[in-house]
Amino acid sequence: MTLLTVRNLQVTYRSETAVSRPVDGASFTINPREVVGLVGDAGAGKSTAALALLGLARAPGAITGGEVIFEGRDLLKLPEDDMRAIRGRDIGIIVQNPRAALNPLLRVGTQIGNAYKAHNQSTEAEARKQAVDMLRMVGINDPDRRVEAFAHELSGGMAQRALIAMALSSRPKLLIADEPTSGLDVTIQAQFLDEMWQTVQATGSAILLVTQELGVIANYCDRVLVLHDGRIVEDAPVRQFFESPRHPYSQDVLRLFRERGGEYPAQITGDRNFLKTDALTKHFPLRNSKKVVQAVDKVSLSIGRAEAVGLVGESGSGKTTVGRCLLRLVDATSGQITFDGTDITALLPADMRKIRSRMQIVFQDPYDSLNPRWTIEDLLAEPLRVHGTPDRATVRAKATAALKLVDLDPALLDRKPRGLGASTLQRVNIARALILDPEFVVLDEPTSVLAPRARNGLIALLAKLQKDLGISFLFISHDLTTVRYLCQRVAVMYLGQIVEEGTVEQVFSTPRHPYSAALLSAHLFPDPINRRVDHPVPAALQGEIPSPIDVPKGCYLASRCPHALEACRATAQTLTQLPDGRQVRCMRVVNGDI
Amino acid sequence: MLWRYIAKRLLIGVVQLFGLIIAVFFLIRLLPADPVSRLVGMNASEEAYAQAAAQLGLDQPVMTQLAQYLGLQPSVQPGLLQGSLGISWVTNEPVLSEIGAYLPVTIELITLAFIVALLVAVPVGMLGALNPGGRTDKGVFLYSLFAGSQPEFWWGLLFVYVFYYQLGVAPPPLGRLSPMTNPPDFVTGFMLIDTLIAGSLPKFLEALHHLMLPVLTLAFILSGPIIKMVRQNMLRALQSDFVLYANCIGLPKKRVARYALRAAMAPSMTLIGILYGFMLSGAVLVESVFSLGGIGQYSIRSVLAFDYPAIQGVVLIITAISLLVYLLLDLVHAAIDPRIAH
Repeated sequence: MTLLTVRNLQVTYRSETAVSRPVDGASFTINPREVVGLVGDAGAGKSTAALALLGLARAPGAITGGEVIFEGRDLLKLPEDDMRAIRGRDIGIIVQNPRAALNPLLRVGTQIGNAYKAHNQSTEAEARKQAVDMLRMVGINDPDRRVEAFAHELSGGMAQRALIAMALSSRPKLLIADEPTSGLDVTIQAQFLDEMWQTVQATGSAILLVTQELGVIANYCDRVLVLHDGRIVEDAPVRQFFESPRHPYSQDVLRLFRERGGEYPAQITGDRNFLKTDALTKHFPLRNSKKVVQAVDKVSLSIGRAEAVGLVGESGSGKTTVGRCLLRLVDATSGQITFDGTDITALLPADMRKIRSRMQIVFQDPYDSLNPRWTIEDLLAEPLRVHGTPDRATVRAKATAALKLVDLDPALLDRKPRGLGASTLQRVNIARALILDPEFVVLDEPTSVLAPRARNGLIALLAKLQKDLGISFLFISHDLTTVRYLCQRVAVMYLGQIVEEGTVEQVFSTPRHPYSAALLSAHLFPDPINRRVDHPVPAALQGEIPSPIDVPKGCYLASRCPHALEACRATAQTLTQLPDGRQVRCMRVVNGDI
Repeated sequence: MLWRYIAKRLLIGVVQLFGLIIAVFFLIRLLPADPVSRLVGMNASEEAYAQAAAQLGLDQPVMTQLAQYLGLQPSVQPGLLQGSLGISWVTNEPVLSEIGAYLPVTIELITLAFIVALLVAVPVGMLGALNPGGRTDKGVFLYSLFAGSQPEFWWGLLFVYVFYYQLGVAPPPLGRLSPMTNPPDFVTGFMLIDTLIAGSLPKFLEALHHLMLPVLTLAFILSGPIIKMVRQNMLRALQSDFVLYANCIGLPKKRVARYALRAAMAPSMTLIGILYGFMLSGAVLVESVFSLGGIGQYSIRSVLAFDYPAIQGVVLIITAISLLVYLLLDLVHAAIDPRIAH
């Protein structure tokens, strides 16, 4: 007996000039207690389809056809009031950007209570008690106090939990989770999904999990639906999907996973100290205070020629600041940076400018880093003009070559960034970084705004550039899967310090530092054989990351570390090399205790 | 916390007012105008001119004049520190008591007009947003086409023509009470309050009756921007994620509409405050049409006569009231929207 059957669902957006159908003939089923993943590219219509299951469409869209049969009734033919009764009571939904989905003017508890009262006969006091109970159930500490909070007082993870508390308050038979973890930090992502999975197991609901992340699919779903061009093009059990995807889109998405399998990128030979930092430190002064934010704390890092080094860690760990210090976009407070044998820490602006043409950076947000009023050619030509003024023909030729290098059509030269997709723009950004033939490029989360398919393409491109042009990369990312496919070595940062550094294989297969271990166990690798939900998961780190203003005296992780001893809290830890060549900042690892 | 915020705002307000006093004091004296000859006439003898100048204090150095105005020389004459706004050069009356007589007329008028405008405009704006392109929306469009494009005194005259001359439901536009009625004793200056204090219900109703047309005219003009703003904010609220989500979890329609209205009203507060401050002196045309001696008319008279103390006094008082209104609305805004932190 199926819980939900969707037949030929169609959603139409009609504007004065155009008609588009983000969902156009989608059909699928969901069984009771099943966890079904819905994947597809950005803009494939996933969220639109999810909303349409509730009979809703964002203005100016409208559901223009199909059936949504839930427990024998076609929801799309129900009168408005019956439909409202089913929403929230039988089908719950949580959405991306949870803070925007909460009413900013009402307390969270009131909102959960309102949702409960809409579907259950209850008094004000009962609704409030229900709100507290639900918040406790979804893993919020101190729910009695949290019901009084407003949306803006909650973190993203907290707001998402409040949303799921609301969605599950009437114990729906189906929970639709629309990219519930987008915008959450990696460590919280897995924790949240674990909690959601357990909660739903307890309430007996089925889940439709809408996501772009293969890791989420592999670890939590029983079955996968692939939405492409508004239709379901593949419907397969999760293992079969990863082993033998049938549709070209699915094959494309899984290409890296299938081609590379368990392999790690080969190590480089030759100059290992092409770029080197020595005790690089960056403090940001606080206004009206003598205290400082310790963003980067004595980071010593070396990157070889043609080597890609990954820099990973939670947001706020100082990754981005390190990248900017390397190019001297911000000046380090102390420490030394050596580039190809030259100490660039205190170079005069004129000399620094010459060096800068050899080192480039690509930023996280491709939209923000390109002036929307310039043509692609102007954008590509700017670095050339800054470093010498070549004639128009040369600029054109170089710009064309740069676009070809990143697999873009040179016809784009006369276009403006408007209307081009994120992945195209990110390639333009890379082309702009490459146009001066740099030897070293900092990539600051270049894939984080890209859909999985575009991300795969970009990783393949970067690997090719590294091999063909011999460029060195510092790859800053919180996406460990990408680092694993692209980088030779990786450094793990926590609170401004490097806590572990080694080859990707060393760190990923046997992380030694307790923080690296926690970070890796929280990461959702796209591996459907070794699912998170099938075996007990090592406990996540307790507590919050300490403030970078008042850093602990001893080990920075001691307050959250399960292995911490009194000695850890008292003594500052040093980065020490282990026999296998990696470096770890933990006395207990060095002593061989753990 | 709240009281500290209010105290801080009031303190800042005082500093702002002080800066404004200084600026107005000097700017007025920069005008290429000669208030003395305006008073004594172009053909006055030099002695008469000098005597008048001495009487107004204009023979003193500017800094001395400022010190006297601020009340730093109370032995010569009382100033701001002693709670005096000076003596009007035209009427020889204390400016403060003159403003005390004129200001309540305006405040009574525009406050009532705002209440009426809000009562009409908020539901209309809401309906327009709930049903864009519907009948309400079309009506509002027609209304804004006319109301917005013609000056308010013209509407005033038109209303007088229709409601007084043709229909006879309104009194003639000759002030706050009929010329035959004895006004109640002056207590607050607000006619509606003073008539009640005097215990005369008929006079209260008469005052209300006389306020009918001017309030209607102003409300008619004010409703335009308010409807537009409410509709806009309401539309934005209806399209917001949290209203969509409220629908997603099946909240009743009424509750969803309440969510949206509250979100729409919060940002509207600011514009209402600005409009109110503007209307304090901007209602002058309507005041003139209905022969209501309001603060706007007082300002114009003072400006035309180069009556420096009166001009300074009006600017000071209007600014102070505007600042208070802003503070009040900010507090209301903060009560509606918890994101506004003090």
